[in-house]
Amino acid sequence: MFDPYILQQLAIGVSLGMIYALMAIGFTLIFGVLNVVNFAHGEVYTIGAFAGLMAITAFAPPLLVVLFIALAAGAFAGFGLERLAFRPFRRFSDEASLKSRAMREATLMSSLAMSIIAREAMELIFGSQFQSIDLAYLINKPIEIGPITIVNGDLIILAITLIMLGGLQWLLKKSPIGMSIRAVSNNALGAKYCGINTDRTIIFTFIIGSGMGALAGILVGLYYGAIFPAMGFTPGIKAFVAMVMGGLSSIPGAVVSAMILGLAESISTSFMPSVWSDMVAYAFLLATLIFFPQGLFGARRERV
Amino acid sequence: MSKPLFIKLLLLVIVFAVVPFALEGLGKGYYYQIATLAFVFMLLAASLHLVTGVAGLLHLGHASLYGVGAYVAALLGSKYGIGFTYGLPLAGIGAAFVAFLVALPTMRLMSIYFAVATLGIGQMLFLVFQNWVDVTNGPNGVMLFDGIDLFGYAINSELGIYYVVAVVAAVSILILNRLSHSYYGNALRSLREDDQCTAAMGINVTVMKIQAFVISAFFAGIAGALWAYTTGYISPNDFNFSQSILILTMVVVGGLGSLPGVLIGALLLILLPEVLRYFGDIRNIIVGLLMFGAILFLPKGLFGEVNALNFARRILGSAWSEDNSEKGIGWK
Repeated sequence: MFDPYILQQLAIGVSLGMIYALMAIGFTLIFGVLNVVNFAHGEVYTIGAFAGLMAITAFAPPLLVVLFIALAAGAFAGFGLERLAFRPFRRFSDEASLKSRAMREATLMSSLAMSIIAREAMELIFGSQFQSIDLAYLINKPIEIGPITIVNGDLIILAITLIMLGGLQWLLKKSPIGMSIRAVSNNALGAKYCGINTDRTIIFTFIIGSGMGALAGILVGLYYGAIFPAMGFTPGIKAFVAMVMGGLSSIPGAVVSAMILGLAESISTSFMPSVWSDMVAYAFLLATLIFFPQGLFGARRERV
Repeated sequence: MSKPLFIKLLLLVIVFAVVPFALEGLGKGYYYQIATLAFVFMLLAASLHLVTGVAGLLHLGHASLYGVGAYVAALLGSKYGIGFTYGLPLAGIGAAFVAFLVALPTMRLMSIYFAVATLGIGQMLFLVFQNWVDVTNGPNGVMLFDGIDLFGYAINSELGIYYVVAVVAAVSILILNRLSHSYYGNALRSLREDDQCTAAMGINVTVMKIQAFVISAFFAGIAGALWAYTTGYISPNDFNFSQSILILTMVVVGGLGSLPGVLIGALLLILLPEVLRYFGDIRNIIVGLLMFGAILFLPKGLFGEVNALNFARRILGSAWSEDNSEKGIGWK
């Protein structure tokens, strides 16, 4: 029926898409509540990978513990990031400055500055090469299913992403903090007048989003066996592309777009050299911005 | 002597007499390299200033257009034997042409979407530099052995090269200065503040944005050609995303919308890492901290736009007050 090679690529594409989805959720949540883009999200992903790596080299815990450590490190990084790069620029809370372009671009550039500082600091501490990882932790043991071979990492990534997505849906729909996140992203000022603590909500949004980004980082690090300080840049851009394609504030849209992006990228390697596969994501970005300014799934949003 | 004239003369004397004299005195190629690097980046920052500072379009791919200029100059020079005289304007035109193609679809996008689109385009061009091995020679870069050859006169001495770079950069910056302090610049500033209002006043916003973007790319291409000819070797990593951010940092630290501030910012960010060379690897962290500190504590930059406009008004105002024609120009 299908060429086994294509099936193989599809399996890889699903894993890639899941990773992009985990990161894109962080972008989408933060954009939802603050209306700004967090350019340091890629560095949170790297921090997650390095936190996991340090845990492995320090006391070799089981894999699940490593993942929790990465999650915690990401949450902590998100908290610090919000305090340093976003909080100081939220001094004015009236509606005009919340929507003003100057404010948005100030936070954009401060998060960019934070990402430079974090990446350079990591290069200084760990060096810019690939880090060596204990081979026992790598999640690339092959498993044969019929004609194709996948690795156990594909299954682990699939399972963790599904758990995280389910947990997020529960959190956003049922828990008080999730409901306040949705309220703030719907209308920040209105939520404030209804007695929701917007500052606390924003911090929680950063913690949740950054935790998921950091989890994606350690999963990719163990999947490919490559952890280095600049690793967050490309996935960060791709997750951003997924967010834009999904219509900016829609989480299901971002997840579906991330899957499309991952699949397109892995399938594209059968038509062109793999060095060009990054081009696919950028082409998708431009095509979306030009032809579907509302996003593929048409969520509400201001004019572009 | 009026004060504005004095400032102009002082700058000319510093650039064309004091600095070369000091460089001859120091007598090492290393200092000449820093001086040309400073000129290249001052020109880059001044060209980004027109797009990001004056027209208010956050541009995150400027280094890739600079790269287009550098590759055009280097490839024309090394493969087709077209020297500096024609290579320099052709590099600018090449970069401007790429920018025009890029601008056609993206210019309707607003703030953050424009920023992301330019980031994407910058990365695409970077991928082309790195992976189109047949033409760009891939990650190995392009070597350019010819020296600067100006209308048949070969310029080989370091001092001569310094003068060529300084003259080209100074003339380009002068043009950018006149552009950003004119009615044209004021129209760009107005579309930065409120593009809907500007459109209602009868200014074609999209065309203005495309023009500013293309002009800025032209000068970035010129800077690229200067870089290719002074170093003799270019590689894709000279034009990656972090270079775009470095140029953007110069503009932000210096002051968005202020040309003198942007030049100060460029000088600071080129000279500071050289001064801090003994600190080794932390100099990139210092660049990041400087950018963060500038956004947090100096939101208007080192030499803010209002100061810069007052400065320009004093200099241009003296010329305007002498103009007694009926129409009357400039600020009252």
